Amino acid sequence: MDSLVTSNILQRPLRSIISVIGVALGVALVMLFTGLARGMSNDLQRRSSNVRGEIIFTRPGSIQFMSSATNLSTKYLEPLRQIEGVENVTPVIRYIYASGAIGIDQVEGVEWSDFARMNGIRIVQGRGPQQSDEVIIDETKAKRNHPLGSSMKIFGDKLYRVVGIYAPESGARAKVTLASLEETLEAPDKCTYILVKVKNPADQVAVAQRIDRELPGNKVQFTRDVFASVESSIPNLGIFLRVLVGLAAIISALVVMLAMYTTITERTREIGILKAMGASRRYIISEIEREALLISAMGLVVGFGLAAAAGLFIHKATSLIFEFGWGWALAAAAIGLLGGAIGAFYPAVKAANLDPVNALAYE
Amino acid sequence: MTAILKAEQLEKTYRVGKVNVHALRGVSLAVEEGDFVAVMGPSGCGKSTMLHLLGGLLTPTGGRIVIDGEDLTAASDAKRTDIRRRKIGFVFQRFNLFPTLTAEGNLRLAERIHANGADDPDRRRAILRLLRLEDKMHHKPLELSGGEQQRLALARAVVNRPAIVLADEPTGNLDTENSTIVLKMFQELNDRFNQTIIMITHNPEAAAACRRTIQMRDGHIVES
Repeated sequence: MDSLVTSNILQRPLRSIISVIGVALGVALVMLFTGLARGMSNDLQRRSSNVRGEIIFTRPGSIQFMSSATNLSTKYLEPLRQIEGVENVTPVIRYIYASGAIGIDQVEGVEWSDFARMNGIRIVQGRGPQQSDEVIIDETKAKRNHPLGSSMKIFGDKLYRVVGIYAPESGARAKVTLASLEETLEAPDKCTYILVKVKNPADQVAVAQRIDRELPGNKVQFTRDVFASVESSIPNLGIFLRVLVGLAAIISALVVMLAMYTTITERTREIGILKAMGASRRYIISEIEREALLISAMGLVVGFGLAAAAGLFIHKATSLIFEFGWGWALAAAAIGLLGGAIGAFYPAVKAANLDPVNALAYE
Repeated sequence: MTAILKAEQLEKTYRVGKVNVHALRGVSLAVEEGDFVAVMGPSGCGKSTMLHLLGGLLTPTGGRIVIDGEDLTAASDAKRTDIRRRKIGFVFQRFNLFPTLTAEGNLRLAERIHANGADDPDRRRAILRLLRLEDKMHHKPLELSGGEQQRLALARAVVNRPAIVLADEPTGNLDTENSTIVLKMFQELNDRFNQTIIMITHNPEAAAACRRTIQMRDGHIVES
């Protein structure tokens, strides 16, 4: 290698590797966190887009992003059916539980036939749940080591047998009978919400107003608003992500700055030689910046690889979903490269301003 | 003959703590094109300071230096760097080669600094052949003997055809045999290419290889 930049990187492999890893960690952090937010958001939106009931009738505060309550009486089913413009109604219990080491999951209790008919869900294999220990799951969950006939734990050690697989994915990936969840949660004749299908979707606003008028004190929401994106469900998630991206940029810049600062000290004499040979300040700064940029570029490649591998591993080990976007990938690339360039700038200027005679005498 | 280098009443004072140290006390010197000058004198007499001033690595406290028609003392730091790049080649006692680059890589780096992106493999090969290093082109400095490293340093100094080569005790780290070889190279460059050379040395045999000798003492030239 007859380039000062590449030969310097090869000459000090440990320093180079540590610097590359530093940049890579910053890039991987950005990619993983934004990929997770995007993956969860898109997954939620995909599944909620298949819920055909336009209106959700519930109690105030019953449905949160990370929790839900089973406190709505099923006595509202009949009055709802009587309201003008309502085609059908079906009760749903939504239960959120810890799954695996770091994940959360949810199960829904439904009256399977009504729910499937309302939402256009078909059974791909097996049948719908009938007994209190039976569960039907979507194809995605089935692919995760839950074939038809297998058992899965939902409540502590309680085993549920997979009796059916359905498509398309809609709401929670696992559904048991409403009675089963009522019994387990000790909430007879209760549900989390009642899904309302209107006769004419164009009239859903008018129907919602009618429901609110006739059954006051409850909460009437549109499905499209309840199952919104993760970003809008978790307050300030966007700010958190931007802070994280900023921190990653600072980490990258500091790692490169430290590495370049060390290398400048190590190479003081060489910088003196460059100056004696007539190298301008701009030349010295550009050599150091090129080295930092090359390290950052290698960090980017490693960081993207690390993020992809970690995303795949976490997805396999948990139910978390990662979807990497080009926008954030470009942002991570810019952070890695800019962080490197900015981090190297101070050491580069310091080197360019070294006194050549003192630098040549440096031991 | 034309004076390619002219120094008039050069003074250099260092501030060490609260004390002023006068390293040079009014040195005047003229070196003609094609001259080969040895600078001798005891340690601390100001030889190295003078060489650094002539090479634009230091700025004088007083006096004037003109190299090949350009006033070094009136120039800004950037301009001085530019003059150094175009007009001067340095050879140091400790070789000061880049250990991570090959022999050819060291020359290529000098070319690149001299003129943005310059790349003349024929010129590099010719210089290395002249200094009997053609077969060591792809060797790194630590794979070369001391004499070979100093010849490579000399090759790097002349690859861009500088007006003057400034050598600071180039044989100081070499054994007698290698010293003789390196001095021969200096002489050859001077004879064949009319290369102007100013060389600091403690070695009378090295000084004898030069066309003239300047003696310094206590910041003055005492014999020229």
